[in-house]
Formats: sequence, structure tokens, C-alpha cells
Amino acid sequence: MTNTEPTALTAEQTDHADRRQRGTHLPGDGHMWLMVLGDLIIFGGYFIVYMVQRAMAPAAYLQAQQHLSITIGVLNTVVLVTSSWFVAQAVRAAADADYERAVRLIYGGGACGVLFIGVKAYEWTMKITQGYTNSNEFFMFYYMLTGVHMFHVALGVLILGIVVRELRNPRRRRPSMVEQGATYWHMVDLLWLVIFGLLYVMR
Amino acid sequence: MTATAAQRPHESRAITYAWAVLCAITIGSWWLSPGHTTHTASPSVAITTAVVLLGFIKGRLVIRYFMAVNTAPRWLKLSTDAWLFALWAAVLAIYVH
Repeated sequence: MTNTEPTALTAEQTDHADRRQRGTHLPGDGHMWLMVLGDLIIFGGYFIVYMVQRAMAPAAYLQAQQHLSITIGVLNTVVLVTSSWFVAQAVRAAADADYERAVRLIYGGGACGVLFIGVKAYEWTMKITQGYTNSNEFFMFYYMLTGVHMFHVALGVLILGIVVRELRNPRRRRPSMVEQGATYWHMVDLLWLVIFGLLYVMR
Repeated sequence: MTATAAQRPHESRAITYAWAVLCAITIGSWWLSPGHTTHTASPSVAITTAVVLLGFIKGRLVIRYFMAVNTAPRWLKLSTDAWLFALWAAVLAIYVH
């Protein structure tokens, strides 16, 4: 074999593979999942409040929704889903002890995250200059939901940076640490898919 | 070859398939959206129901394949499914009410 072959698997990695095969492997750790499930419930609350408010004035909301650019919405969703693909593949690479590849993939995921923030900032700027401010109820929800979400994206990029730093240190790198960061990152993607459906697509 | 290395091509492919389906649904949503300024959008129960179903499917793909919950313990599968189901069922119920 060539020298590109990943390094030998540690006991942790073999155990990890075994648990995955049996379907009992917790990706990351319990604390991260507690935080993720908590965040999902909090955002779920925001989504329900939005739906209740929308149900009181559906025509006004639908009319305001028409001022969002679906092309930008679709583009940014594809960017975020692609970032998740990079990060999910990085988890697999780390599980196989191919840390070089894992780092490259996380860079790809992080770059997509930064691109997402850039496109979102452009969209906000466009909407504000067109006069769609939070004096309109739909746009108030739009800025609130996408703003809180964007904060999560920025935090996610920071977490991916920490994962890269740990992966670069041969004594500290572990597959579970990559899973930890990835779990948070995919939560950000999951929440965006709901925001996209509720704000941009539903009628 | 180890068990891990043997599993990897299959798992990587599953992640890529999930990504392709997510992109296809997202791009397909472009035609459902009211955000086309050439005409005035009208409310649509059919489109909103489609959005709810597709949102559920997309969320489940992210959870099961990207977050690797398909090889996780049962409690995590159940709690993530419960969240997904409760959220989208509530969205649809409030919409049609």
C-alpha cells in the first residue's frame, strides 16, 4: 500500500466502529445532545409562535413573503446543506483516522458557513434598503428568526475552528471530538431547513 | 481491512445520496414559493401541505444521515423523531385550523 493509507486505528476507533455497527453509538456526547435537543425545543417554540401570528393575518404575511427572494433562499439552503455534507464526511474520515482529509473537509464546511453568512448579510442589506424593516410583522419575524439563526451559524464556524485546532494536534485528536462539533453544525442546518420552509416557501 | 474501513464507502455514499436529495427538494421548492414578483400569490393548502411533508423528509435526512442518528441509541432516534413530528404536525394543524 502507499503512504497515503490512514494511520492505524486506536482502541477507541475500533470500539466506535463496533458500536456503530450495533446501532448503539452516540455521536458526540450526552451533554452536546442535551444542548442540541434543548435548542431544537426553543426554536420549535419560536416556529409555533410564528405560525400562530401568521394564522391571524395570513393574507398580510403572504403578501410580505412575496418580497423575499426565493433564489437567494434556495442558494443559501444549498450552501448550508453542502457545508453539512463536508462536515459529515469529515466525521467519517476522522473515524478512519484519516485526519488530514478530515481537516480539509472541515475547512470546506467552514467556508460554506462563511459564504452563508455573507449571502444572508447581503439579503438583509437589500431588504433594509428596499424599506422592509421590522415595522412589518412578517419582517420582524424574518429578522428575528434569521438573526438568531445567524448567531448559531457564527458560533458553529467558531466550533469548527476549534475542531481543526484539536485535529492538528496528534495527542488531542479524537473522532468523538469531531462528532461533537458536527452534531452542533448539523443542528444549525436542520433549523435553517425549517426557517426556509416557513418563511420562503409555504403559502 | 478493518471493519471501519470496510464500512466507510457505504456510509460516505449514504451521506452523498442524502445531500443530493436535500438539494433536489430545495431546488424544487423554488417553483412552490410565493416569492415570484410577476404575479400575486394565493394561499394554497396543497402547497403548504407539501412544504410540511418535504420539511419532515429533509429534517429526517439531516438527523439520520448527517447527524448519524441511524446508528445511534434508540432513545435518540425516538426523541429526534418526536421533535420532528410534533413540530411539523403543529405547523400544519395551526395552518389549517
